[in-house]
Amino acid sequence: MSFFLNQMVIGIQLGSQYVLVALGLTLIFGILDISHFAHGHMYMIGAYLLYIVMVLGGVNYWLALVICMAALSIAGVVVERAVYRPLRGQPHINSFIAAIGLILVLETLVRGIQPDALRVPKPIDKNFSFLGINMEVQRLIVIVGAIVFIILLQVFIKRTRLGTAIEAMSQDREGAALVGINVNRMSALTFAIATALAAVAAVFMAPLAFVSPEMGSVLVLKAFVIVVIGGLGSMKGAILGGYLLGILEALAIAYISSAYKDVFAFGVLIIILAIWPTGIFGGRD
Amino acid sequence: MLELNDVHCVIGKHAVISGVSLQIGEGELVCLLGANGAGKSSLFKTISGLITPTQGTIEFEGRPIHKKNPEKIVKLGVSLCPEGRKLFPRLSIRKNLMMGAYTRYREKSQTAKTLREIYELFPILEERADQEAGTLSGGEQQMLAIGRSLMCKPRLLLLDEPSLGLAPLIVKKIMETIEGINRGGVTVLLSEQNASMALSISSRGYVLENGHIVLEGTARELAGNEEVKKAYIGA
Repeated sequence: MSFFLNQMVIGIQLGSQYVLVALGLTLIFGILDISHFAHGHMYMIGAYLLYIVMVLGGVNYWLALVICMAALSIAGVVVERAVYRPLRGQPHINSFIAAIGLILVLETLVRGIQPDALRVPKPIDKNFSFLGINMEVQRLIVIVGAIVFIILLQVFIKRTRLGTAIEAMSQDREGAALVGINVNRMSALTFAIATALAAVAAVFMAPLAFVSPEMGSVLVLKAFVIVVIGGLGSMKGAILGGYLLGILEALAIAYISSAYKDVFAFGVLIIILAIWPTGIFGGRD
Repeated sequence: MLELNDVHCVIGKHAVISGVSLQIGEGELVCLLGANGAGKSSLFKTISGLITPTQGTIEFEGRPIHKKNPEKIVKLGVSLCPEGRKLFPRLSIRKNLMMGAYTRYREKSQTAKTLREIYELFPILEERADQEAGTLSGGEQQMLAIGRSLMCKPRLLLLDEPSLGLAPLIVKKIMETIEGINRGGVTVLLSEQNASMALSISSRGYVLENGHIVLEGTARELAGNEEVKKAYIGA
């Protein structure tokens, strides 16, 4: 039983990472109708930035989290303004190609500067036991931290004027412009929030994995699957899909084989899509 | 109050508005008649900043607005209730209305007062305030769209085909409401395919064909015009 519980905790921790990245993707898709495939590489940049700020700069982990969020928010705004805004109203393939270009630029740049994988030390390098579950404190930080940011995002979207404007814009862009919402500013804000969430995921996960130029590639694919499974543009769907994928992966590793974790997890997700072709929540919420 | 001088608009390679000039005085209720595809919606979108004219000027209360974005035009007091309503279907009625007051976020008590006025105008919206906009009937959605357009306290209200797809009884109610809004001091430019209904509540009108103004006059003159009767009233 305790083995099962331990695997569930690992699954929830993996899911927390997926949810944070998938929420950003679904926000961007909902508002701008853009498949921002370079989102995983923004996550990778966040992890490298953590290394620079925390390891090289000697800054405290929590302050580094704030710095990484702020820096990636600005990077998100720049990407929206410079890469995607000029392509608004053009065929989807154009923004897709722009995203691929951005991926290549970011990955090549990072690989050129630092080809080897890096390690970021854990801020609290301890384990603890609770109800037969033995886990690292960092995993708890990921789980609790993700919950905090998910709640903050929900409160922002559902309870604030700007959040409601983002939601309104995702439902009718022209209608939003007609009530006086500055759609360009709102697009930039959405990118800033989404990219800050990728920074949060990176800062939480970096001490548990190697920091490398390709660390965002597979993650973004998984995040896209989660977004599709949950229902394009649905935040509830991204949360449910993210945790589901994390838990399925952890159980597959424990009970089948780590080599087949993606086969098992994605197989189940394909079945879900066969049952709900438009995703669990069937659209945007 | 509103003056368009030789306005031209091109979408893609097509000229949708070609040299439109019109004036609307403060407190007037003016109708814009025209068949489908005549350019009525494009003209409304141009006035409200969604389309930038390629030539000509638009002035509102003496200020040029043809290069301003929709946000600034709403702030100046021009509100468009668009064809197709453009509501936020998964937001509640109350949130839709509050989004209508997006540019008035510093005027909390004034916004609350406007909300009460809208609820008095359309009591059904208050009864269903927490219901999602997408679940309303067509007539109720039109009421919500008009209510949302009024939340920014416009001095000029542009109404694009408010009767489209509605039952005759609802259309009558909507037209009475538009008259009431105009009597309350809001200048109205109303676009309609239902010419007889629009002319019955307007003081003046323009007829738009293929992006050009082809006729203008008082509502009585237009209602008596043989071409208007033949093309738009069906007499």
